[in-house]
Amino acid sequence: MNIWRIAVKELMMFRDVKMLVFMLATPVLLMLIMGSLLSSAFNGSVAVGDIRVLYSDHSEDGSIGADWELWLRQSGTENMVFEKFEGSDAEAMEGVRDGSYSGYAALNPSGFHYYGNSRSSIENSMVSGILSAFADRYKLSIAGAEPELESMVPGSYVKETRLKGSHMPAAMDYFAVAVTTMIILYSAATAGNLIDSERTRNTAIRLLASPISKGEIFVGKIVGTMVLNAGFIAMIMLISKYMYDANWGDNLPMVWLVLLSEIAFALSLGLGISYIVKGKASGIVIMTIIQLACFFGGSYYRIEDNGDFVSMLAPYSPLTWSNEALMDLIYGGETGAAITASALNLGVAAAMLLISAVMMRRREGL
Amino acid sequence: MNVLQLKKLTKKYGEFAAVDQLTLAVQEGEIFGLLGANGAGKSTTINMIASLIPITKGEIELLGKNIAKNGKFAKSNIGIVPQELAIYEDMTAYENVRFFAGLYGLRGPELKRRAEEALAFTGLSDKHRSYPRDFSGGMKRRLNIACAIAHRPKLIIMDEPTVGIDPHSRNYILNSVRKLNEMGSTIIYTSHYMEEVEELCTRIAILDHGKVIAEGTKAQLKSIITDQKEIRIDVRSATGLDTRKLSEIAGVRTVTVNDEQNSVSISTDAEVNILNRIIQGLMAADIEIRSVEESQPSLETVFLTLTGRSLRDS
Repeated sequence: MNIWRIAVKELMMFRDVKMLVFMLATPVLLMLIMGSLLSSAFNGSVAVGDIRVLYSDHSEDGSIGADWELWLRQSGTENMVFEKFEGSDAEAMEGVRDGSYSGYAALNPSGFHYYGNSRSSIENSMVSGILSAFADRYKLSIAGAEPELESMVPGSYVKETRLKGSHMPAAMDYFAVAVTTMIILYSAATAGNLIDSERTRNTAIRLLASPISKGEIFVGKIVGTMVLNAGFIAMIMLISKYMYDANWGDNLPMVWLVLLSEIAFALSLGLGISYIVKGKASGIVIMTIIQLACFFGGSYYRIEDNGDFVSMLAPYSPLTWSNEALMDLIYGGETGAAITASALNLGVAAAMLLISAVMMRRREGL
Repeated sequence: MNVLQLKKLTKKYGEFAAVDQLTLAVQEGEIFGLLGANGAGKSTTINMIASLIPITKGEIELLGKNIAKNGKFAKSNIGIVPQELAIYEDMTAYENVRFFAGLYGLRGPELKRRAEEALAFTGLSDKHRSYPRDFSGGMKRRLNIACAIAHRPKLIIMDEPTVGIDPHSRNYILNSVRKLNEMGSTIIYTSHYMEEVEELCTRIAILDHGKVIAEGTKAQLKSIITDQKEIRIDVRSATGLDTRKLSEIAGVRTVTVNDEQNSVSISTDAEVNILNRIIQGLMAADIEIRSVEESQPSLETVFLTLTGRSLRDS
């Protein structure tokens, strides 16, 4: 009963409507800003207009050029216009440089020399693909094994397999999750102040003088803050879902498990550090941990696994555990990662709570 | 009957003894004054009585029961009014009292009634829906008291309950202390205002360096200082009075000038009669005398003599 009283008291402390609006507005605005600004990084389709490429035939007898033109006619490259150029290489390259053409392919007996505009990387990749395919075919014809071009349907001999699921998060979907987990981690800062606030308000004296145990005070405060944060996160989820149409998946209980476990993690982390690092320094330590965890955990941008410094450190951020678990759960239906992340969160939470409880018992006062 | 008994109570921090073998008893129905300079061991003693800190050695008995073995019983029968305000600014006055009273096991209508009674007792009934952040310093102090008395403790510990408040609230609190006492509560009262202690307390203990150096009624304490008397002289203007010449008179111990009240307080040896020489000294300095009063030493003088320090300056 005393635990419940203290928990309810914690909830009563947050009745300030202005503060609640501000606390809700911050993550909601963050989602909007980051989801809008970084939407291009999450766009799976890129619109490519007509590709204009110059080519010249410098082969001695023009045989390559003939084959090339036959290839172009038969391969049916849509939206890709190859224009024969009779001028010098320098003139052709000037046309590429000023953006009139995406690239310039010079055919000579030793093969192709392709000069692409560095601003048209996607177009260059597509042209390179065409050129490579032609080069392969030309080698075959030299070897005497004339392929039947008519029977070759572009793409029929290449099978493309997508490693990621077809349903990928849009920017808003991603940041709805990332900002929510980030905001949860920020609750570590308030948790660091959870017991200290009783000391600074001197109410710790009254609590300790009353016939309740330190344990009841401790648990009551944690339960109250857990409930408060859970309600707060539920509101953020609802707002992101109905305001931004963010995708939280179909398995909401598992999503909740991960988020609740992260709340427990954040609260116990803040509380634990406030006991380990006493005084005002604890706040600085907590904020540093939060900032690093957010940076390496993909709160500000999606971390790609490309072997760089950030991606190497990413797995050590608690936000990475939760974010990846939630993404796998929402977009891949994988509950295993969610269970692992929750277990990790709860494991660390239990350890930090144990440390806090032991240190509180040893301390005079709260 | 003793409500509280401290037996060789000791609290050590390393080698330093904040409270050193302190023994005293508080009887039922008393307003017991605890006087001591900063660092004398007053707060440490109070904290041990309220079970806020563990005891190093010795025993505390509340209503005949050892509090170390009967923690819940002891806590349920003690109400503490801390020196600093200990209230939640984000909860209304009623919610504050209700919350703290609830921790003592009160429930339902009983809890509601007791919380309302405590607010009425401290004159805050009309403010029970207001937040303490909108209160004056005096009102906050009264709420601080209300939170400590709603569960009707047998022993109330009041640690400097009138610090930094207006005279109206101060009088209200002092009257409340008397009323609580009349209603049957035993009170331990500490204050930096000696006149409050003199006015309220039935018995007083003076603490110094963690020990009781004097204990008794006001009269008993004043009788300790038998070799000294006080002379108070009201003058037209005490500004610029040179006290050195007065101090040089044989038998004068201390000379204190109060510019605001235009008075000179002189402490002298009890056996000598030097009033004439003092008056001559003042007249020689062109000081116009309005009245002269000779009295026994005040509690302030007793404290100063015993501890070597003034209570307010400490």
